[in-house]
Amino acid sequence: MFSTITSGTVCGIGSHLIQVEVDISKGLPCFQMVGLLSSEVREARERVRVALKNSGISLPPMCINVNLSPADLRKEGTMFDLPVAVGILACLGHLPGESTAGTVLLGELGLSGEIKPVRGILPIVTRAKESGMRRCILPHDNAMEGAVVEGIEIIGVTDVAQTVEYLKGLQSGRKDLIEPAHIDVMSLWKEPDGANALDFADISGQETVKRAAEVAAAGFHHLLMTGPPGSGKTMLAKRIPSILPPLSLQESLEVSTVYSVSGLLHSAQEILVTRRPFLNPHHTITGQALAGGGRVPVPGIISLAHRGILFLDELPEFKRETLDILRQPLEDKVVQIARSSGVYLFPADFMLVGAMNPCPCGYYPDMGKCRCAPYEVRRYLGRISGPILDRIDICVEAAPMKFRDISGRAAGESSARIKERVMGARQMQAQRFAGTQLRFNADMGVAQVEKYCVLGAQEKGYMERMFSAMQLSARGYHRILKVARTIADLEQCGGIRKEHLSEAICYRQMWE
Amino acid sequence: MTEETEKAYIHWLCQAAGMGSGSFLRQLEQAGTARDVYDMAKRGILEEKLHIRYKHRAQRLQAAVKDYDVMGKYKDMRDRGICLVTCRETDYPEKLAAVQDAPYALYYAGRLPDHRKRSIALIGARSCSEYGRYMAKEFGAALARAGVQIVSGMARGIDGIGQMAALGAGGYSLGVFGCGVDICYPSGNRELYERLLAEGGVCSEYPPGVGPRAVLFPPRNRIISGLCDGVLVIESKEKSGTLITVDMALEQGREVYALPGRATDALSAGCNRLIRQGAQLVMSPQELLEELLADFNACPDRKVYCQQTLFIPEGVQGELLQLLDFQPKSMETLQEAYVSTYGKSVTVPALCHELLQLCVDGYAGCSNGNYYLIKG
Repeated sequence: MFSTITSGTVCGIGSHLIQVEVDISKGLPCFQMVGLLSSEVREARERVRVALKNSGISLPPMCINVNLSPADLRKEGTMFDLPVAVGILACLGHLPGESTAGTVLLGELGLSGEIKPVRGILPIVTRAKESGMRRCILPHDNAMEGAVVEGIEIIGVTDVAQTVEYLKGLQSGRKDLIEPAHIDVMSLWKEPDGANALDFADISGQETVKRAAEVAAAGFHHLLMTGPPGSGKTMLAKRIPSILPPLSLQESLEVSTVYSVSGLLHSAQEILVTRRPFLNPHHTITGQALAGGGRVPVPGIISLAHRGILFLDELPEFKRETLDILRQPLEDKVVQIARSSGVYLFPADFMLVGAMNPCPCGYYPDMGKCRCAPYEVRRYLGRISGPILDRIDICVEAAPMKFRDISGRAAGESSARIKERVMGARQMQAQRFAGTQLRFNADMGVAQVEKYCVLGAQEKGYMERMFSAMQLSARGYHRILKVARTIADLEQCGGIRKEHLSEAICYRQMWE
Repeated sequence: MTEETEKAYIHWLCQAAGMGSGSFLRQLEQAGTARDVYDMAKRGILEEKLHIRYKHRAQRLQAAVKDYDVMGKYKDMRDRGICLVTCRETDYPEKLAAVQDAPYALYYAGRLPDHRKRSIALIGARSCSEYGRYMAKEFGAALARAGVQIVSGMARGIDGIGQMAALGAGGYSLGVFGCGVDICYPSGNRELYERLLAEGGVCSEYPPGVGPRAVLFPPRNRIISGLCDGVLVIESKEKSGTLITVDMALEQGREVYALPGRATDALSAGCNRLIRQGAQLVMSPQELLEELLADFNACPDRKVYCQQTLFIPEGVQGELLQLLDFQPKSMETLQEAYVSTYGKSVTVPALCHELLQLCVDGYAGCSNGNYYLIKG
């Protein structure tokens, strides 16, 4: 008696379909599972045996062998419980063999026979659809997540008995035992924003920093805010997602995949990630937690911030080695993690927003208050390595908060209005970069800057004078052009003008 | 015995006796030349020859005789361009010699100041403001051009800036160290140190090789004021090492000058207090020069710092220029000041543009990123 059930496993953020082969034959009673299994997969034996017993099916005293194929691929996770159980039932003749053809089964069993949610549904269902499977039987709690993938039938089940009923019904032509899960994906975006949403209108004053944030958001430039303690840097950073354009479906699927394999999409409310992520790790974070890692790599904070914002508060307090890990992801927009089992790629296309004090005491350049020696100030800035700073296009200084700011004069401009301008700038960029790999102005390399940021004769002369007057570095030159391009885009302006250049120069790095 | 040989033994004495031993060394002269002292120490009879209260010091000298190559060590030092002058010699700076606890011997490299010329100690805070930086440069250069010698401690901040400006103006400057003259401290002033060696001088009462220690610095301040006719304080907080120098100067009967600052400025609090206590208020190098040099003709083109800029650009730029100051102001502050002063609003991009224009045209400067100030 032999049966094969299809299931799946995640590997990085990708996935593989796995064949669960079950054979039951005469011999000494035993229950073996093979196929390069991690311990949580092997423990399925006990869960399956008890869950079946509590569902009214006792295993006969026979020799049960389970193989998870391909046998050279390491299997992780608890999603194999259900396919193993169904495979055994098929072998024992409780189910007709053909009922599971073209079906992917995933699910963790509880001892009572209930089926519990598992992680990584989104990538596995996507893979199942691509491989031409017709149907996925998933834990009921995961059904909505699976239903996001169109073109494949998603059946949510709550326990083993129900699954058996359903599969039997299929064979006898009764498909209506469980309604396939359905979800209107676009409705997920229409959720009410709620009154508690963070808005730029909450911040009065700090016009310079707000403007810099707007420019950064428009061109997806990395941003560094410098300012004394309590000048509202963190408050501002938390509001940047509110002026970024909403996630597109494609982007949302990318982000949701990362969250799915990290097991962060459990809640029934959050079927897809529809808001731009905002990640705010503490400065004691380890490199592994930041970039992702582990024996079997899982996505790190920077991958969870994909298509969103990675906010590093107190930037110089991060360990230098930790920050240096960001160098490659900032360049390639993916994290590569090599293990003996292969190279794992996690997406990491995030907007880096850093905040720091200008010196160890925090008050430089207010010499009345600052107690730091110039070399201390330099050393403090030196804790961030050059290659990281090189990628940061916009630097801005936050002034100390004044009483008027706190006591609230007129409310600031609302996020919605800023967002409109940002969307306009994004559209300009989309048109400009149509048919290329680039998406935003920040993505431009030196060659592209020369191609897309052409200056008129007058502007060139202006830049030349600025270059010597402000002692700009050659390295900063291209950064300024990129930012000027974004500022021009914000004004829906085809050519870069002098005003755009001067504003961009004001966002240069202060240690240049 | 030649002069040089005797100096070699004095070098040994200075090294062996340690710091703060000026009066002891003067006492020793009664026992004979440095050579005699060395011989007595070697024979172990120095202890008996001296007064009982010098017992410990005598024992130290006797211990220091062992394995010491007197002539070799001295020759090494001279080969490195470092000289030694004692207060019994005519080369010893005249103004310092008159001071009560003047160092017995002075190590120096480069030139010592010319006692026929006027000298001013230009001192102030190490972490200075943009205002202090600017004034130190102005005073350093103007005084040096008029032939006044600038003496200071080569510290970072006011000291170093003033000395650098003096050398830049082709004048003479002397650095007085709280460590051996062969050690550049602070290391950030390397360029100034090299230039002082070449164009001015450095001196110290401590033998070469003595590292910088906190306790060595207050005593060197008496040398700074002792070498000068007056002390000019550019910027100083309420509690500051600069004020030690001022105290020394007053003890030595030197004139104290101070540059005033605002009442709200922590970095000018020390200066303002000095003025209240009777220090001379100076507002320009010319004022000080008239005071200092009897034959200095009252300068017709005296530089007045508080004068309004004669030519003010029109429009927003002119309005912005009125708001600028020697204290760097952030864009945020300027924007608010603009709104409250003129009752008009200005957008951040416009502000950026106008400020940069002022910088390019030379009216304003920017420091530390987006902080703007008047360029003097």
